[in-house]
Amino acid sequence: MTQFGKTLAVAVAAVILLVACKGPVENTQLLINTEDCTGCGKCVEVCPYNAIEVINGDAVIDPSLCHCCYRCVEECPEGAIY
Amino acid sequence: MLPALAMAVSIDGWMNTQMGGDSLSPQMGRIDIGGLLKGGNWSLVIQERYSHEDSTGIVPRILNSYSRTDIDFTIEAGPVSINPDVCWTVDTGDNKPEIVLPVQAGVVYREGFIRPGLGIKADVSENIHLFARGLYWNRDLRQEDDYDLDWAETRISGGATWDSPWGTSLTVAALNHRMKSDFIDYDADWSRVDINMSVQPQSLPANMFVSGEVTYSAYSGTDYLDSDIADRLTSRLRMVQMVIPSVSVNTVFESVIDFDDGITRSACTSAESRIKYRFLQNREIPSSVLIYGKVSRSAIRTERAGIFSRINLYGGLSLLLDAEARVTPTAVAGAGPERKRYTFGPGLEYQFGTTVRIWGIVEQERTNLENNENWWRLRAGLELYPGSFYF
Repeated sequence: MTQFGKTLAVAVAAVILLVACKGPVENTQLLINTEDCTGCGKCVEVCPYNAIEVINGDAVIDPSLCHCCYRCVEECPEGAIY
Repeated sequence: MLPALAMAVSIDGWMNTQMGGDSLSPQMGRIDIGGLLKGGNWSLVIQERYSHEDSTGIVPRILNSYSRTDIDFTIEAGPVSINPDVCWTVDTGDNKPEIVLPVQAGVVYREGFIRPGLGIKADVSENIHLFARGLYWNRDLRQEDDYDLDWAETRISGGATWDSPWGTSLTVAALNHRMKSDFIDYDADWSRVDINMSVQPQSLPANMFVSGEVTYSAYSGTDYLDSDIADRLTSRLRMVQMVIPSVSVNTVFESVIDFDDGITRSACTSAESRIKYRFLQNREIPSSVLIYGKVSRSAIRTERAGIFSRINLYGGLSLLLDAEARVTPTAVAGAGPERKRYTFGPGLEYQFGTTVRIWGIVEQERTNLENNENWWRLRAGLELYPGSFYF
């Protein structure tokens, strides 16, 4: 199988898996894109649950403390939390 | 011998000052000052931040001041690298941020923390690398009557990476995070085991870069509702294509799937693209236009699109232009579930070589809160990098 064929097969498998999934529910754990995060710490400042910390220059969410209030999503200047 | 010793240690310093205020909070800003001392097999980084900014994410804003100090030392001995560091913050404002405690233990005020850490990396062979890191937080969280909660956290992680000869790498890592406060009788921990595989195909055209990674994270522990934290499969594909020498396109697709009590859920799907056009590249400061857009769908909806351009006018002087539209959820009471923001502003920048950069942007933001609000904002910055000195 060619490189293109392998990539296409993986992409089709990913789409099938996504279509087969149920949708997200409330309180689904948030995601931080570490490639976009600059470690500015604005999310740490606005989190009322002390659930975010900047470690090694990237924001990290503690999944046991996060209440999904989305203040960090609204505040992040890079749009790195979603 | 003497010249060799004289070149043995170098010192770098930098300063980055940013201020930004609008009609609601005219006095926000931050200063970052840092220094790097580097020897043959060791380095010491000291960074200091003073910040005065919003601490609630709501309107009207409540501002807080804090300082953060990071001291990071690394020494390498053959294949082993040891990295002790310490970080501490002090909340210095009159309005200390309120923290909602778990297990309905009320609200306390954050006054800072001290966090020592120790990291170790070792190259077992050319392709196998081991890493471990331990962090300990002692947080200063106080009740209104000034009782200290005696809140401490530990985070221990470690793992191994194998770089295969075929452009793939496999990482297996584990992490444990524990929180404890005797004052409110709270003791909880959660753990995670990550298996990550990343691929960077080597046989691609010269003007194309593709990388992909898949991570399966198995969690053990509960969230704030006392439900099990779902296991998570995260996959990310990045493609960078240089269409012509002056135009590059950077696209990222991301898909996150949760495995929650036997139910498979799509937790998040996102796509992001950046197109950068560079022109006037023969000048002292190259000009560029960056157009970007990103959408994500999870339990919430976020959308972001914008343009940022730097057009060199003369010498080190450039014209800046910033415009962005965003949709995010909002915590502002009465504003509805989503907040739409449109920001636009021109600015000027002057660069003295690579030593000093001064910039300022005057922005207008229109945002839908309880009413449609129009805010004027001034953002300005001074970046100073005097360069390296050897002694």
